[in-house]
Amino acid sequence: MKIDIAKLKNIVGENNVRTDPADLYVYSSDASVHSKLPDAVVRPSSIKDVQEIIRYANKNKIPVVARGTGSGMSGQTVPLSGGIVLDMKKMDKVIKISPEDLLCVVEPGVVNDDLNKILKPYGFFFPPTPSSGNICTIGGMIGTNASGNRSVKYGATRDAVIGLKVILANGDLVTLGSNTLVDSSGYQLARLIVGSEGTLGIVVEATLRISPILKYQGMGVANFKTLEDAGKMISETIASGITPSMIELMDNIAIKAVNNALDLGLPDVEAIVIFECNGMLKESVDYEIKQVEKICNKNNGTGIKVTFDPKQMAQIYEGRKKLFPCFSKYKQGLITTALADDMAVPMSKIADTIRKIHEIANKHSVVMSAYGHCGVGLIHTKILMDTAKKSQWNGAKKAVKEVYEYVHSIGGTTSGEHGIGFSKGPSFKEEKKDSLEMMKSIKKALDPNNILNPHKLMDSPDDWLTATPLRYQVNC
Amino acid sequence: MSEKDKSKTKSKYLQQYENQMNMCIRCAYCFEKCPVIKELQWDTDGARGKVIISYGLLTGDIKPSQYIADKLFRCTFCRDCLDKCPSKVEILKIIESARAEVVNAGFASDAHKYIINNIKTTGNIYGDKEVISQEQEGDIPLFVGCQYMGRPNKTKKYVKILEKLGVKPKIVNEICCGFPMEVLGFKLDYENHKKNFKEHFPFNESITLCPTCTVFLNEGHEIKAKHVLQVILEKIPKANLKMKVTYHDPCDFSRGLKIIDEPRKILEKLGIEIVEMINNKENSRCCGGGGGILMTDQILSNDIAKKRIYEALETGVDIIVTSCPTCETTLKKAASEISESEGKTISVRSIEDIIWMGLNER
Repeated sequence: MKIDIAKLKNIVGENNVRTDPADLYVYSSDASVHSKLPDAVVRPSSIKDVQEIIRYANKNKIPVVARGTGSGMSGQTVPLSGGIVLDMKKMDKVIKISPEDLLCVVEPGVVNDDLNKILKPYGFFFPPTPSSGNICTIGGMIGTNASGNRSVKYGATRDAVIGLKVILANGDLVTLGSNTLVDSSGYQLARLIVGSEGTLGIVVEATLRISPILKYQGMGVANFKTLEDAGKMISETIASGITPSMIELMDNIAIKAVNNALDLGLPDVEAIVIFECNGMLKESVDYEIKQVEKICNKNNGTGIKVTFDPKQMAQIYEGRKKLFPCFSKYKQGLITTALADDMAVPMSKIADTIRKIHEIANKHSVVMSAYGHCGVGLIHTKILMDTAKKSQWNGAKKAVKEVYEYVHSIGGTTSGEHGIGFSKGPSFKEEKKDSLEMMKSIKKALDPNNILNPHKLMDSPDDWLTATPLRYQVNC
Repeated sequence: MSEKDKSKTKSKYLQQYENQMNMCIRCAYCFEKCPVIKELQWDTDGARGKVIISYGLLTGDIKPSQYIADKLFRCTFCRDCLDKCPSKVEILKIIESARAEVVNAGFASDAHKYIINNIKTTGNIYGDKEVISQEQEGDIPLFVGCQYMGRPNKTKKYVKILEKLGVKPKIVNEICCGFPMEVLGFKLDYENHKKNFKEHFPFNESITLCPTCTVFLNEGHEIKAKHVLQVILEKIPKANLKMKVTYHDPCDFSRGLKIIDEPRKILEKLGIEIVEMINNKENSRCCGGGGGILMTDQILSNDIAKKRIYEALETGVDIIVTSCPTCETTLKKAASEISESEGKTISVRSIEDIIWMGLNER
């Protein structure tokens, strides 16, 4: 592939194009297991920059992969066919805040927590709350339809996107959606872009719904001897009519990992559930917290603690907040890999699914923990393994396949919030086989030259393990 | 997976950190407050980027180059990434080792070579044999350190403060602690220097003046080093200076040694009100002066320092106090430039000056 670097420098300036092997190497990976070198990294500063880059790329059939912080876990920003990586971090302006319209307008490179710091004095926040909010960009959140621990009450990014400005594959700028909270005007194309992982267009501006910061918060924690009791507690809470702002579960492997890494002294049980309720009235929060507490008791919860003190809430949540990276401390020699990491299942099937995950992991000699935003049925898993051993990767591949087969068999879905990239491509294609052709038609209509993040989602390779070199030192 | 050969030549210094580099899940949490990536906004310039480059050097996927050396040396060693990394990867040790690899491959900067040669030939970073500590007998060893050896008036002030508080420091003909060798990638030189250092400073415990030397004496030489402010806090009487200041935490204090309360308590004892900056204590923003960056990228260093001065200006006070000579230098330069270009003025003062004022006010 021949890329005219001078042309790119002419568009964005000399200092905003990089082709040194070190830069290409850094931009070859994200938080997934994959690695593939781009041919150039380009940093646009404006809509016009993006338009010109895309027009050039489309004319010359050069792949373009947009990227924010590069914290995706499924290979969304790994440039499978090389080409140009667009680093969107410089487009980081908050353009407008309009509490009276319940919206704000931002560029895609704005970091989630930075936006919330700006919104706080207005008494508002952007409701999707990914664990990586401290570093993830709004563009990345839109690309993956990210959510987080408060999705049980506030939904995912798609529910908070009102309108988008998008550069299409031919370089045209289109405005999708509206500036209103309701919109019944035809196809909901802004919603289509959310979760499309940069395959249909490059988001250059987003109009987002904001929500008032609720004044009172309460948090509780309960330990459960069995996963089944924890599962019942969660589904009964959801069915009780209460809308907690968070219900999080950690399994025994997660508990051990946190204790090993942070020495928190969490109890050796099958599950810990953390719940949070919030509201404008203290009485309503008290009531909801007490109701959840009762449900915990009814389902044999032990060590139940509830608090309204922010410091104590932070203590309760500390282990869950820092959990993902703690897995590297679970057992000497085992490395955390982001595989099969965010399936969603009906809430009533959480306990069964976690049991099944453990069973499959044991069968294939890898370690899989399960935890996550169980109030929406979202289960995170990570595979812990010796990444230098080929046999471990083959075991992981079989485990991933079998876990997803089970998830699909009970009505679950492949990804709840991290997206598909190509790590989850094979299972995604199996799950969505009825609609694959529809997706391909949409892609072809909007991107006939297949330049926008090619070979992702429905076009993923059939084997994630051999699709690229892994970023670890191993020959598979 | 491709049949790409991953059995690469093992790097001398990086090999021991292979598992650490695999533990890095590349989550990018280290981006949050990294002063370098905040300024430059390229992934390559952040802590994760440097770990990835280090991994590439280890695997042989990328080769040492001047470009890579420049990237690796654009780090202030502010330790924020260590705090933010949830996997507790030894990021700075990895960067130090990667620096050693590129230095070994012939990509050391002239400025760094000059400093290292100075230490080897004169025992201090200045290359001047006349820069020595004023030896004196005393009860407890005081390690002065290069930064204070080059600022004899500051050292004298600290010695007088200690003596006024009843502590008689013993000063010997010390040499540099060797931290510049370790941090700038001259590991072999450091190994040789370490033995020499012990001969010049043969103690198991010490008082120290420089925050970085305090960390390095503890970690590199296993000397139980106590910073002079910790000693002063135990003995300083109350005063009533009636000042309002903001306090800048040196990174080696707030995130390295966790010396956060001591300087604040000293200032409060002296009757000073502290108005905190938005980023303070363990979340303090770096001054831009550490990790060797002052010698290789002064513009970047100055840009980082200016951000800190803007934070100080936002407090509305007229004085920013700090307890590290490097922070003092970088912040003074930034404050002076902001004052000149924008007319916004804040005075940068060292904590020993304030303490001296307090002691003499009585």
